[in-house]
Amino acid sequence: MSLIERFGEHIERGREPSESGREPSLPSTTAPNTAAPLVVVDAIAKTFDVSPPWLNRILEGKPRLLLHAVDDVSFEIARGETLALVGESGCGKSTIARMLVGLYKPSRGQVRFDGVDLSELGSPAGRQMRSRLQMIFQDPYASLNPRWKVADIIAEPIRVHRTMSGKDAIAARIEALLKQVGLSGADAAKYPHQFSGGQRQRLSIARALASRPEFLVCDEPTSALDVSVQAQVLNLMRDIQRADGLTYLFISHNLAVVNHVADRVGVMYLGRIVELAPKRRLFEMPQHPYTRMLLDAIPVIDGSGQMRTAVSGEVPNPLNPPSGCTFHPRCPLARERCRSERPLLRQSADGSQVACHAIEENWS
Amino acid sequence: MISTDTPVNPPLLEVKNLQVAFTNRRGTLVAIDDVSFSIAPGEVLGVVGESGAGKSLTGAAIIGLIEPPGRIVGGEILLEGRRIDNLDASQMRRIRGRQIGAIFQDPLTSLDPLQTVGRQLVETIRTHLDLSATQARHRAIELLDSTGIPAAAARFDHYPHQFSGGMRQRVVIALALAAEPRLIVADEPTTALDVSIQAQIIALLKRLCREHGTAIMLVTHDMGVIAETADRVAVMYAGRIAEIGPVADVIHRPHHPYTVGLMGSIPLIGHARERLAQIDGAMPRLNAIPSGCAFNPRCPMVVDACRTIRPELVAAGRSMAACLRHGAHALVPVTE
Repeated sequence: MSLIERFGEHIERGREPSESGREPSLPSTTAPNTAAPLVVVDAIAKTFDVSPPWLNRILEGKPRLLLHAVDDVSFEIARGETLALVGESGCGKSTIARMLVGLYKPSRGQVRFDGVDLSELGSPAGRQMRSRLQMIFQDPYASLNPRWKVADIIAEPIRVHRTMSGKDAIAARIEALLKQVGLSGADAAKYPHQFSGGQRQRLSIARALASRPEFLVCDEPTSALDVSVQAQVLNLMRDIQRADGLTYLFISHNLAVVNHVADRVGVMYLGRIVELAPKRRLFEMPQHPYTRMLLDAIPVIDGSGQMRTAVSGEVPNPLNPPSGCTFHPRCPLARERCRSERPLLRQSADGSQVACHAIEENWS
Repeated sequence: MISTDTPVNPPLLEVKNLQVAFTNRRGTLVAIDDVSFSIAPGEVLGVVGESGAGKSLTGAAIIGLIEPPGRIVGGEILLEGRRIDNLDASQMRRIRGRQIGAIFQDPLTSLDPLQTVGRQLVETIRTHLDLSATQARHRAIELLDSTGIPAAAARFDHYPHQFSGGMRQRVVIALALAAEPRLIVADEPTTALDVSIQAQIIALLKRLCREHGTAIMLVTHDMGVIAETADRVAVMYAGRIAEIGPVADVIHRPHHPYTVGLMGSIPLIGHARERLAQIDGAMPRLNAIPSGCAFNPRCPMVVDACRTIRPELVAAGRSMAACLRHGAHALVPVTE
């Protein structure tokens, strides 16, 4: 409970008007100890400049265009926990994944891994820390170099981070990794094209595990796979987590998959978290209208032929998001306040967080 | 015994012992092997299976769009009792669109990016129906309107890139329905869409087909979409039908071990499970389909006979399954 309370304070702090002056100081509670969360995301935002070229702006008088892919998102992930982020395409979930491993720099805010600011990744201490976080990508066809042998692909993190030396030791480690993900040691001499989609995703997992990371960011790791292969990969990821005590950030658009893997779930809409709650609470008592809508949209496999509630409307253009609560044009509960004022993520009585005026003021 | 595979009405589409093969210099690969099923008027038949099971290829064979070197090497396809698998290209073109509509996975690649959606609709309508340009325009706007595109008359002159993914798929559905076909082959129509949009498109497809009495062959890997849309479902594995039957039976009382494994591997909300059921291994490659039952190397109930005898589809409960454990002359006693 104390963790959640601290989390709440954190959110409130993150929500303060924070354009320039806020000190990105470490709160004393996140001093390195085992109880502290492994990953602290503090009010991060990412803005992409999608303006037309300079000459067009001058000649045609076109304005600058900024896309707010992620806007003021804060959360923490405890050691050994799986936090899942769900949302529809374009809601910013993959952008968050990339910021968490340092592939994008946040435009504002800060990501701290075990107390260290991730913007320090370039420093020697940062590089050493870099080996402790790894990523698994969505497309197992695009994320493995087709010209490299499996042994080289898996050994790359070991070589880059110099976590091991000696040809034989590395070869033994590669074989152990391949066995851990359910492949055989002889596969090390093959090329990626000799493997199926599910096997390739196993190779991606082996590569991610090579530097003995503590934190894995999984960006839609199974959405390119068939269901039976998805089951194999999800089971494997769970076994590895049990064995090595890994912490996962799991990005997915599939609520059923999230329900299977996550401990806590954050629901995103247009770059913001609208609800963050323990898994059971979220699936049994969804609060935010968008979460309820997403859950209603899941097909029910009970064979009753019952239609899911079709949701009206589509995700608005993120370049020109609606005012106030960005969900208000699709929300059945929307009132005047929703059109003008943006709801903040607030702690509710049971420890979950919801950003909704209707919940806060108990409209019914 | 009345098998559920022969509907009471005369079937709209009948596929008999269809065989599709690809020939290259290394030999012949049989991608669809002895597939038979039928679709009644107004019925929704779901076809599920994993990538490479041959489900899309079956759809392509029906609409006559198999890409060379693939070709139909055996069997028959009958539409309202008339063979359509041996027609030449121009005859097939008249059937495609007029009698069989098609919806593909990616709405962006099935629309011409250089023409307005209105023009594409009018072209389709006038190719198949004897209407004047003004009448065709009216009909196109009606169609766009009926698929739920707001301000259809204004959207008529827009290009595909000006539509969102869900709206584009609505345009594709309007195109498929333009000539009021009796059958629509929908190949993964919702796979490229977000869940909330998916529900809208499925509801739309179902409503329109009910209104027009159109039958659908719905090809997808998403069991959820099948569960809420289809009347019957065929489960394909390695180019063959493993099981076919009423949707509730296949989902809740699967008979083929592959269907059992497939259902168990789907994560479900409300069924907390520590581990998902797992079918080990992967579907065989086309050049290495095992003899006997294609599923035998992965099957948890395999017996010696499975390695030599190829099972035929036989009645199993209200469904039909291609498994030696079923049928009147079951070689293997059913132990459950």
